[in-house]
Amino acid sequence: MPVAYPLPKDLSPATVANTASLLRIVALALISGAAIASRLFAVVNFESIIHEFDPWFNYRATKVLAEKGFYEFWNWFDPTAWYPLGRVVGGTIYPGLMATSGVIYSFLHAINLPVDIRNICVMLAPGFSALTAWATYMFTKELKDESAGLLAAAFMGIVPGYISRSVAGSYDNEAIAIFLLMFTFYAWIKALKQGSAFFGTVAAVFYFYMVAAWGGYAFITNMIPLHSLVLILMGRYTNRLYVAYSSWYAIGTLSSMQVPFVGFQPVSTSEHMGALGVFGLLQIIAFSQLIHSHLPSKQFKTVVLGSVISIGLLGTAAIVTLTVRGSIAPWTGRFYSMWDTGYAKKYIPIIASVSEHQPTAWPSFFMDLQFLIFLFPAGVVYCFKQLRDEHLFVIIYAVVASYFAGVMVRLMLTLTPIVCVTAAVALSELLDTYIDPQEPDASAEVADVAAPSDNASAATPSKKVKKAAAAASAAPSNPISDLVNANAPAKTKKASKSRGIFGLDTRIAVIFNTTMMLLFFVAHCTWVTSSAYSSPSVVLASTNPDGSQHIIDDFREAYYWLRQNTAEDAVVMSWWDYGYQIAGMADRPTLVDNNTWNNTHIATVGKAMSSSEEVAYPILRKHDVDYILIIFGGLIGYSGDDINKFLWMVRIAQGVWPDEIQEPNYFTPQGDYRIDDQASQAMKDSLMYKMSYYRFSDLFGGQQATDRVRNQAVPKVGPTLDYIEEAYTSENWIVRIYAVKKEDPLGRDLKSANAFAEGKKRKRTKPMTRRRAII
Amino acid sequence: MLALWSLLLPLAGLAGLVHAKSSSGDSVLVVLEPGLPKEDFSVFFSNLKEQGYDLTFRAPKEVTPKVIEDDIPAFAHVILFAPESKAYAADITPQSLVTLLSEKTNLLVAVGPKTTPLTSLASEFSLILPTPNTPLISHFPKRDTPATVIPIEVASNSLLTAGTPPVWFSGVSYALGNNPLLVPILAAPAESFASDSTEDSGADALVDASEKGGEGLWAGSATSVVTGFQTKDGSRVTWVGSVTLFSDEFAHKALPNGKASGNEQFAKDVAAWTFQEKSVLRIESVSHHHVNGTSTPDFYTTNDEIVYSVKVSKYDPKTSSWKPCTCRSDIQLEFTMLDPHVRTTLVADPSDPGSYTASFRAPDRHGVFKFVIDYKRKGWSSLQSSTTVPVVPPRHDGYPRFLSAAWPYYAGAISTSVGFVVFSALFLAGDVRDVKKGKGLKHE
Amino acid sequence: MAPTKSASSSKAAPSSSAIHSLWQAYNDETPDRLKFVDAFLVFIMLSGALQFLYCILVTNFPFNAFLAGFSSTIGQFVLTASLRSQVNSENKDEFKEVSPERAFADFALGSIVLHFFVFNFLG
Repeated sequence: MPVAYPLPKDLSPATVANTASLLRIVALALISGAAIASRLFAVVNFESIIHEFDPWFNYRATKVLAEKGFYEFWNWFDPTAWYPLGRVVGGTIYPGLMATSGVIYSFLHAINLPVDIRNICVMLAPGFSALTAWATYMFTKELKDESAGLLAAAFMGIVPGYISRSVAGSYDNEAIAIFLLMFTFYAWIKALKQGSAFFGTVAAVFYFYMVAAWGGYAFITNMIPLHSLVLILMGRYTNRLYVAYSSWYAIGTLSSMQVPFVGFQPVSTSEHMGALGVFGLLQIIAFSQLIHSHLPSKQFKTVVLGSVISIGLLGTAAIVTLTVRGSIAPWTGRFYSMWDTGYAKKYIPIIASVSEHQPTAWPSFFMDLQFLIFLFPAGVVYCFKQLRDEHLFVIIYAVVASYFAGVMVRLMLTLTPIVCVTAAVALSELLDTYIDPQEPDASAEVADVAAPSDNASAATPSKKVKKAAAAASAAPSNPISDLVNANAPAKTKKASKSRGIFGLDTRIAVIFNTTMMLLFFVAHCTWVTSSAYSSPSVVLASTNPDGSQHIIDDFREAYYWLRQNTAEDAVVMSWWDYGYQIAGMADRPTLVDNNTWNNTHIATVGKAMSSSEEVAYPILRKHDVDYILIIFGGLIGYSGDDINKFLWMVRIAQGVWPDEIQEPNYFTPQGDYRIDDQASQAMKDSLMYKMSYYRFSDLFGGQQATDRVRNQAVPKVGPTLDYIEEAYTSENWIVRIYAVKKEDPLGRDLKSANAFAEGKKRKRTKPMTRRRAII
Repeated sequence: MLALWSLLLPLAGLAGLVHAKSSSGDSVLVVLEPGLPKEDFSVFFSNLKEQGYDLTFRAPKEVTPKVIEDDIPAFAHVILFAPESKAYAADITPQSLVTLLSEKTNLLVAVGPKTTPLTSLASEFSLILPTPNTPLISHFPKRDTPATVIPIEVASNSLLTAGTPPVWFSGVSYALGNNPLLVPILAAPAESFASDSTEDSGADALVDASEKGGEGLWAGSATSVVTGFQTKDGSRVTWVGSVTLFSDEFAHKALPNGKASGNEQFAKDVAAWTFQEKSVLRIESVSHHHVNGTSTPDFYTTNDEIVYSVKVSKYDPKTSSWKPCTCRSDIQLEFTMLDPHVRTTLVADPSDPGSYTASFRAPDRHGVFKFVIDYKRKGWSSLQSSTTVPVVPPRHDGYPRFLSAAWPYYAGAISTSVGFVVFSALFLAGDVRDVKKGKGLKHE
Repeated sequence: MAPTKSASSSKAAPSSSAIHSLWQAYNDETPDRLKFVDAFLVFIMLSGALQFLYCILVTNFPFNAFLAGFSSTIGQFVLTASLRSQVNSENKDEFKEVSPERAFADFALGSIVLHFFVFNFLG
């Protein structure tokens, strides 16, 4: 057979296989190294600190676990969160993440490596990202072969869509959940391919781990049944499917109910009914097949078929009736808002207000996935061509994930693995075609034998791997079977192809082009990671005019002021975004935090923030609030401040008190949202406005005070405060803390008390009449 | 409050070896305007000295002794007998007097018909003083004193000694606002009214007066002449419409029916209440524990039986000490999380005088609760206490286990496990048998 | 559960004799081992049905115990059914990588994991 470049003739198949597996191991190790290394930008640039908001709570919970042991953690009731309602932490979290850190912590301490719990928490995500890359390798290996697997692992290791949630310091559920997702899917595909209850059990156990780790487990709960249903409808029912699905469902569902937060949901909510339905359907089909095997007569077959369908319909009708009656809960708001995207804004403003829940903009697809996004459809087409059971899974996953990624920015994360897998498959197919040295025969009559090529030059990003790949290609990187063929032609069939690529130059051109694209991908990923996704968001960085870095550390400055200058049980009120950070860094009781489990409590805080002082003061006293904390970005131009979020506070409060708070009151008559002298009266009176702009115009020394975020002129005469007083303002005025005044000892309202203290006299009044009205 | 009083007690002890009568110190500053000589009030002041108070005198315009310096009050009590002075020294302003009150200093203030800076202060206490120069007038009972000198019957009042004879009064009355902290002591007689002249003979004068100042409004027993006010911090102020109530002249003046007037006794009572001798309560200690326990736990579980007890003591001016008080029987306890979930009356414990206990079941709701005592009665010092305690849900192993209703499920699960073990044993045995048989067959 | 190759001819008959012929066919065609497995399956089914009836008719408190007991029967049932299909020599082509011995090992492992979760959830 003609070859474009010569193959070595003196290698035994065993040597080839061993070298290939060594190269694979080395490649995987280097991919892991790259995955971990690219997530360390934040640690190198700033410090080893927990990022953002939610991770602070996870960190606190893990500290409790590490210090007090598992049972105390399991029963932990936090009296400082959601004051005074408290929070039953043990029963309202997904404990997988904390348990993982706790296990690692205990293990390291048991082998006498006293690693601080904070370092474990910070570095957990990069560590698990290496495991995710490996799981993606295993998964893709089942689809195509090891070379596609290595490509997929490399993509998964550095792709920004996944990095954004797994940098060092981002100690959130997704850090381990994506690994568990990929591994559960891998185990499911293995179980399906082999028809093995062992892999079904493994899938169930990792599914349990996933349920314990992330609320997105509902994705698996619906993907696997959907896949099974499609297989059944396509007529691909086999016993293997029965074995795999039944063992996964039975053990998986039972184990998922062990997590207290999930409880009985798997048998009583709509999100889980799909899995139950498919399970029932499989039992019916299996049973009917059994009967059918004993009575092959045609009429009986139709009777059986009819009864199967009718039982299936009956089951569906039963589920629907139960849902309508209410015994089975309908789709909860969080999931329902993904089908009906306008639902959340109207009915559940809290869900709509989260910035991660906004629809995805087109540029973020490219930013997160770069060239993988246009290889993605090619990979799906490849799956259509192969169309084994596992390829069907990939197709379904791709379609579903594309829809969800378009609905919510946050769900780019679930799209990323499948994009990596399919893009790797497509790229691997391309490289196979062009690396395969076989040239087609002029006389083409034999059927194609798609030579499985083992491409050891998986394009891993680090320079070292490139050298290894170059070294590997110096030793001829050939299709293994061709190699073996070259050495032992007698054993294997001669595989002459009717289609292929002529010449070395075409091959070099295409492979060079592909390598360049891979290099650009690496450059893009590294750049995006370092500039966009490695910010701890607790610390802001900007550049000085001379180019040096200027760190803005207002948040920690204010939290530590709180920690050191207030009573230990002083209650702090702030918007729920900052609750976890206040609890984590300032260690003070908070009124609401990012858990957002109690809408009325949040609405109460919203009402207090958007009402006048007189209306807000009783609310503050009732909740024993000592300090109020707000974020104000008007001085330095920080646009994530509370005045920009203010309308959400109004909307959420309006949801509970529509008579007292109306959103249109906070706009000008023309409908603008203004904070200058044209602002509406309700806006000017609101506590949030007053707290933000109190003494702000004094900063400008008589000149025009400008709010740099809204780009409007702040009125010269600033607001006055009677019921609260300023306690602390951070260096760049980002965090402002106010103390709530105690009630007046003479029982007056504080406004009059303040007026009296400044020397104003009250108007003379007449005695009140005590005559009763004649009814 | 408890802490501050316990701080002032040693202060009082340091103030002198004199037997202290007041629970909050016995240094008194008397601000006496120059027009009122000290000797005119000798009965009142000597009574005070007898009680054990240290009196210091100064005129309103004098710079020393300062009543308050750098926000620290210099005296435990201040008497302001300056109903006509319009100018004070810099340290006495309406604002500084309010600051004094929040620093636990008690005041006894006398106002008169003239407008002074003190009249603007009175409105902060929701007292509505009449128009200037409208003294109180009553034409009844028939007597031979001018109409502005009125004998007022002393209604029975828990703050005053029972059976106090009527007191002579000459000054203004004022209306009360609806501030709940006001403690009425002596109301104006029903037949009295504020008038702008002492001779209002004839209807014309009445009509003139009503057109000018709303004469009919400050009239009757709805207005008050002596009113107390207890601030939220515990300090007390008494507003008296006349300074001559305390004078020797009225103390010795005989009533129209010939009996002696009650001014001296009345003045003593008013001073006793104002200077924290009478009706002074405090909480000595609070404690809470489980019904069967004794130590105070860090937290409770829902549906726990809790016992809460509080020790209340009352100040006994005769012995200058705090004695356990069984005097109140309506102290309420609230177990609150945003709103009270449990509200119960604390019952006096017969075995331990001064101790009140309540026993109740923690609600079925977890959260951070407070034991709140917020006891306010007119004339008595307020008792306030708030103890925060979390109420947690039961531990994961705190629920009842091995329920009898569940035995079919237990039986089912166990039978499945047993069945599995038996089945696998038999299955493997059958396997072995099959293999042997297979081997045997093969051999044959 | 697997389509057999044997062509036992039972004609279309009214349902009672259809069931009878089904039973006849089953008895004749099924090897003893599989019949033993089927017996275990029937036992588990009965146990599960009893628990379900108890739950509906008497009380569903405590729900977690019901779920645990019922799931143990369901789980054991599907695992045994899987074992049956894997051990059935007619299905050898479908289960290329799962020999009967491996099938039993899978079954045992799955059952142990299942029972562990059951007893944890039972309360």
